[in-house]
Formats: sequence, structure tokens, C-alpha cells
Amino acid sequence: MRPTLSQTIARMVNPFFIGKTARKERKPAAAYPAGFKRVTEVFDRLGQPKILGDPIAKPGGEGCVYFLKDKPDILVKIYHPRKLEGHRAEYREKIEAMIGIKDEFRDFPVCWPLLSVFDQEKNWIGYAMQRGIGAPMRYLAHAVAYRKHFPYLDRTLLLEYLVSFVRNILFLQEKGVFIGDYNMLNFLCDTRSDKVTMIDCDSYQIEIEGKRYPCPVGSPDLTPVEHHDKDFRTVAHTKQSEAFSLAIIIFECLMLGRHPYDVVGGDDPVTNLRRANFPYKRGNTGVPKGPWRNIWTHMPLRIRKLFIETFTEGVNDPEKRVSAETWLAELKIYHADMRAGKYDKNINPLKKLVKVTPKAEPKGIEEDETENYVD
Amino acid sequence: MDYLEKKRKDDLIVNPTPRCACILVLDTSGSMAGDPIEELNNGLMNFLSEVREDELAQYSVELGIVAAGGGVREALPLTPIHLIEAVNYFEAGGDTPLGEAVETALNMLERRKTEYKRTGVPYYQPWLVLISDGEPNDNWEETAARARNMSAARKLVSLPVGVSSADLDVLSRFSSRPAKRLSGLKFREFFEWLSASMARVSSSASTTAQINLPPTDGWDSI
Repeated sequence: MRPTLSQTIARMVNPFFIGKTARKERKPAAAYPAGFKRVTEVFDRLGQPKILGDPIAKPGGEGCVYFLKDKPDILVKIYHPRKLEGHRAEYREKIEAMIGIKDEFRDFPVCWPLLSVFDQEKNWIGYAMQRGIGAPMRYLAHAVAYRKHFPYLDRTLLLEYLVSFVRNILFLQEKGVFIGDYNMLNFLCDTRSDKVTMIDCDSYQIEIEGKRYPCPVGSPDLTPVEHHDKDFRTVAHTKQSEAFSLAIIIFECLMLGRHPYDVVGGDDPVTNLRRANFPYKRGNTGVPKGPWRNIWTHMPLRIRKLFIETFTEGVNDPEKRVSAETWLAELKIYHADMRAGKYDKNINPLKKLVKVTPKAEPKGIEEDETENYVD
Repeated sequence: MDYLEKKRKDDLIVNPTPRCACILVLDTSGSMAGDPIEELNNGLMNFLSEVREDELAQYSVELGIVAAGGGVREALPLTPIHLIEAVNYFEAGGDTPLGEAVETALNMLERRKTEYKRTGVPYYQPWLVLISDGEPNDNWEETAARARNMSAARKLVSLPVGVSSADLDVLSRFSSRPAKRLSGLKFREFFEWLSASMARVSSSASTTAQINLPPTDGWDSI
């Protein structure tokens, strides 16, 4: 049935117009999931009440994060009662161990737990922390969403975020802290600077006075094979295991959210990962159609070699994975070279040949891909 | 190739976000006339705007709709939510060829999965949501078994939902888990739950891990 003129006009105004009359729907005042009880007041250790503001987002799987009323730079995370049931002491012990070393993280962009909070009956229910500023790195490493959240993004800025991010990782590792569950929603990129802030830290693996508090969660797409099919509560993250996750994050940022193991005609990314089926390796096939091959070949050969090393031999040999220190040094060189005009700054580099001066590449590299991609 | 078809194909090349395909099989037979079809349409519209507001889900969730009412109609091919511009209002009328409708839906899923594989786009387990207030009046057993087997093999999240006096035993045969009954006409609550579930799936870092879905007690009944 052809739409009438009035319907056509209504659809131009409101794309969700779906029929005879515009169906305006009132939303319920609080669109919280069933069973969720909003908390309005918490208490500190001394029983002093603090009033909570709105939740910053819909409740997640673990709990809900609120603004502290009248102090919007402080957030309070309240765990779901069902999460704490039977595990309250365990959660509390880890968070309070983290609070015990909070001073070490004071001037560092990480939203570390600062203070325990309690309910009226003095039950421990969560903690307070600093609020992080920025848009999640997931929106940066996203071929479509970056345009909205990072409208001025170019590859120089992308590298600046990555340098900040790797610095953060190194700083945490120095303190014996491992992220474990790498999740790009939990790294906030400040859109007005190159600062990257780490949030949702309560899952981090920490070691205090010889006791290890594990990172209980993770996902296989970002995890090295030696931790697959294991209960994450029993896994010990190391610099080498983190190096694998780190390389995936760097790859996804440089490749607009494309996972290194997205393979045409291959299996799901996890199966490809286990088989070390990295399609960008020379002689390999399966690079997805689209801008990816072009972006890849515009990267410096040195950077490409670091990825190939980590994503092929490094899958089963942790020693072959590129360390965070090396990534930091190499990304800084890449950044300096890009600022000097050696590499295309465009998010989607132009497909013309960019002449690379031979001395820029280190000697002893066998691969013959010294030129950039020509379509 | 028409305009939308081209956009659907191009999106798989320029947007590498892992996909969560969700096909709705809607019973639009005569018995749904009146408030049920009205609430179903409203709930669906809310679903679209909720998912569209979600920064990640809008690029990840692909919605397809098959209408079963006096014939089977592919009302919307599997399309990423951020590309959907309008969905038609569904009218109720005719009988209930659910078997054929589910068959159509499963074939749409297979076709789209082939496109995912051809373009190297990872995907989560697809969803089939079957909403009906009655029982199928065509040959449905074979198709039901197909959906049920896929569901048991974790190749499909099959979710039959019965409205009012629907025969839950029959609807349950389309899945390896029992059908749920919608409490009253809580379509809005159901679609809110569906969009929350889609948001969870699409923000998951893994296409292979199990996802804990939000509780369904906002809309189902015993």
C-alpha cells in the first residue's frame, strides 16, 4: 500500500513513524530492569550518610554506579545484593586491599577504589572512586562510531592515545597490577587531550603482601591460549600473557575495530586465534574485503612485524610476544615519523604510493613489503 | 540491487562490528486484531528506538521481521539497526502459517550467515523470537524440529513467546528451552527486555562466551 502524503511527511519528520497516527509513547519514569532497587543513600565507615545522585548508566551485570550527589567527580559503585550474597567478605577483602594502596595511584589516570561504603545496617555494599573523563576506547576502535565521538581523529592522535595507554599498562605492571580482563569499554579516551583513564578497576589482578587477588573474568577473544577454557579465578596473569591482549588492543585501535583474527572463510575469531591464523601474515589469505589491507600496508614494516610475531609464533610461545616496553618505544617512533610526514595521517590512508626512505627501515628485515600498498 | 540491499551488503565491508542477528516471527493473524496488534506495534517501535540509542548495539544488532497472517511476508530483511529507516505498521488478519514463517526466518538467517562468513564479520549466536497467540495451522513439525535442533546445538537462541491463550506446548517445540507466556499484553516490557539483552550481547567482548541475560520477570508469567 502506498503511503499517503501525510504519512510521507510524518516519516520525513520522524523516521520511526509507523502508521496511521504518530504513536507517542510515554516512557516509564524509571526504566530500570525488573528486580532492580535503586539505592539513594550510603554510609561511610563512621556511619555518616552520603546522598547518591542518579546512576551514571543502566545497571551492569555486577552492580550499579551512581553519582555522589553534590560531588559529581566522585562515583559510588554498589554491588547487586545477589552478587554479594555469600561472597561479601571476599569482595570486601579485595577492595579494601586495593584501598590500602590507593596513595600509589593518586596522580595516575586510574579510577582506583578510594573508600568503602555501607548500608544503614553497616553491611559493606561497595566503594567510592574518582570519575573518569572521556569516551570509551571501544568507540575509538570502531569504523563507524569514531566519527561521532572523535570527529577530529587522525592517526597521530590515535597513536598518542595508544602511547598513553601503553604507559598506563607499564605503570600498573610496575606496581604488580595486571588488567586481566581487557575490555575497551573500560579505557576512557579524553576527547580534549591524549589522556587515557582506566576505569572499572575492581576486577584487576593485584598482589599485596604476597597474596594474589585474581581477575575473575575475561573473554577468550582477547586472551592468550594458555588461559583459554580455564576458570579465570585460577589464572595468574603475567607480563607475557598481558602482552598478547595488549597487541590485540593496539591492532584493533589502528584497524578501526577489526579483530586480528577476523578471517574470510575462516572460523570464529577464537578458533582462528587458537590456530594462529593471522590473515595479514605474508603468504596468508583471508584478509576481509574493505579498507583493511590498505590500512595494514600503510603501517611501518617494523610495526607490522611486531604484530606478525605476536599473532603467529607468539600464540603458543609467550616469549615471542612483543613486550609493553617495546610497543611503547616503537609506537613513539611511529608517531614521530608520522609527524615528520613519513606516514599518512588519514584514518583511511590514501591509496597512493608513499615513498619510504630505505634508511628508515632497520637492516636485516627479509620481508619485501617495504613499499606501501598500491591499489 | 535496491538501495537498502546495497547498504546491507556494504555495511559488512565498512563496519567490522560483530553481529547479533535477531529475527522476529510475528503472528499477525486475525485473532491478534485490536489491542494485541496495537501493543505489539508499539513495543516494536520502542525496541527500535531503544537499540538505536545504544552506541554499540545499533551497529551490531541486525533485525529481521517475518509476518505470519494469511500468508507469510518477509517484512524486513536482516538489517543493522542503524540503517533501518522505517518499519511498516502491522495489521492483523488471516490464519497462522507459523511453520512456513519460521522456515522463512531460518533461511534468512542462513543467507545472512553466509554473507558474514564471506566478508569475515564475526557473529554472536543469532536469535529467533517467535510471538504468537495461537498455534500454527500449517505443516510446522519439521521446521520446529529444525529450530529446536539448532537451539540445542547452541547455533540459535530460539525464544517462543505465547500471548494470551497460546498453546505453549506447541510453541515450546520450536526451541530446546520452554516457551514463555507473556503476562497480559506486556509487549512493551518484553521488548525492553529484548533490547537490554541485545545491549548485553553486543557489548560482550566475546562472540563465543555465554552471556548472562537480564531476568525475564518483568514480562513473563507462570
